[in-house]
Amino acid sequence: MSCQRLRNWIEERYDVEGMKRLARHKLVPVHQYEIWYYTGGIAMFLFILQFITGMVLSFYYIPYFEHANKSIIEIVTKLNMGWFFRSLHHWGAQLAITALFIHVFSTFLLKSYRKPRELLWISGFMLLGISIFFGLSGYFLLWDERAFAAVRVATGGAGNLPVIGGFIKAFLRGGLDVTGDTLTRFYAFHVSVLPLITLFLVGIHVLLVQYHGMSVPMSLEKKPLKQIPFFPNLFYKDLIIWLLVLGLTVTLATLLPPEIGKKADPLAPAPENIKPEWYFLFLFQTLKLFPGEILGMNGETIAIILISCGILFFFLIPFFDRRSSRGEKSVLFTWIGVFYTLYFIVMTIIGFLS
Amino acid sequence: MKRIIFAFLSVIACALDLFAQEAAPVEVFPTAPYDRYIIFQSLALFWVAIVGLIVIIRMKLKEIERVQKMGIDREEKDIPLLD
Repeated sequence: MSCQRLRNWIEERYDVEGMKRLARHKLVPVHQYEIWYYTGGIAMFLFILQFITGMVLSFYYIPYFEHANKSIIEIVTKLNMGWFFRSLHHWGAQLAITALFIHVFSTFLLKSYRKPRELLWISGFMLLGISIFFGLSGYFLLWDERAFAAVRVATGGAGNLPVIGGFIKAFLRGGLDVTGDTLTRFYAFHVSVLPLITLFLVGIHVLLVQYHGMSVPMSLEKKPLKQIPFFPNLFYKDLIIWLLVLGLTVTLATLLPPEIGKKADPLAPAPENIKPEWYFLFLFQTLKLFPGEILGMNGETIAIILISCGILFFFLIPFFDRRSSRGEKSVLFTWIGVFYTLYFIVMTIIGFLS
Repeated sequence: MKRIIFAFLSVIACALDLFAQEAAPVEVFPTAPYDRYIIFQSLALFWVAIVGLIVIIRMKLKEIERVQKMGIDREEKDIPLLD
């Protein structure tokens, strides 16, 4: 079938011209904050990269506690380009979570969550939470002593939540303690449960972006703004940025391949000076601020409750910020956004340096 | 007696572990100089390809913007169509 015949075959069945017209008619405002529009695209591009590299790794990874660590060592040392795909998957995850954090904080500070985009914020925030769980479950698949200790601490922390904590801990661990069952469970989360939820949420998020259009910062809402078509203008700019991100990911994967620690021993004590992954450092540092006991109650439980309240407030921010919803300036929530952003950055740096 | 000797040897065998050296870390990057050379060369070529693609996309984008500025990309109304 020649190219023209194939085109005719498709055009007879689908309204390709209508779709092209729709793409051309989608307009994007141009202003000084438009750089933040690209962070969502970067995150999506890195998600696709993660799906591809993850699929390649899953051909050789063995999700059984006796072989998991060894199978990764074999991927890295024996397979052709195995080290590269593993490193690419590692750095892709780090950059995807960084892009998501930047996307979430920029959305907060630009008040893009305001009416009518509340569901966009909710779906985006859920995607951030899922990505963090992706990171934790993927880290555990290494089955080395650091990953083992990190998961024991993380699931133990979740267990400190009152009422539901015990259930969450048992559900995540698949038993009373972190064992080989936890590895099988985390593998199932990492390769089937979380990707399915991610696909569903990304679908809803992108659909809502198309439905509502790009958000314009409140300060520029009443000014006449120049608009450019999404396709091809913004799409080509997106492509340029994706290429740069791909280059950065490949460079980091080549120059800084991640280490593989010693195989986990459930009976051995946790190694000294262990730290969680960087995106947990702010939580780790916050937990350190609390004493062991406050007014006769467990300090860690109080810390976990307070952190959960802080995250819940962040999650429900569109419903608290009523002024922004009415189109009025809300200085208080700008300062709350600045506080959250600075707290995250400062605590992460302190956690990294200490 | 045999049991005592066996137990003694087992204790010594376990104690030897204390003097064992730390296992060497896993090499996560190819160690052969030729492999390393090929990898760094490929990385350099990869960046050349990325820069080349970016230049082409930017040229294409400029051309699109020029055409949009002239307005010749918009369809005229009631344009006669050749059948």
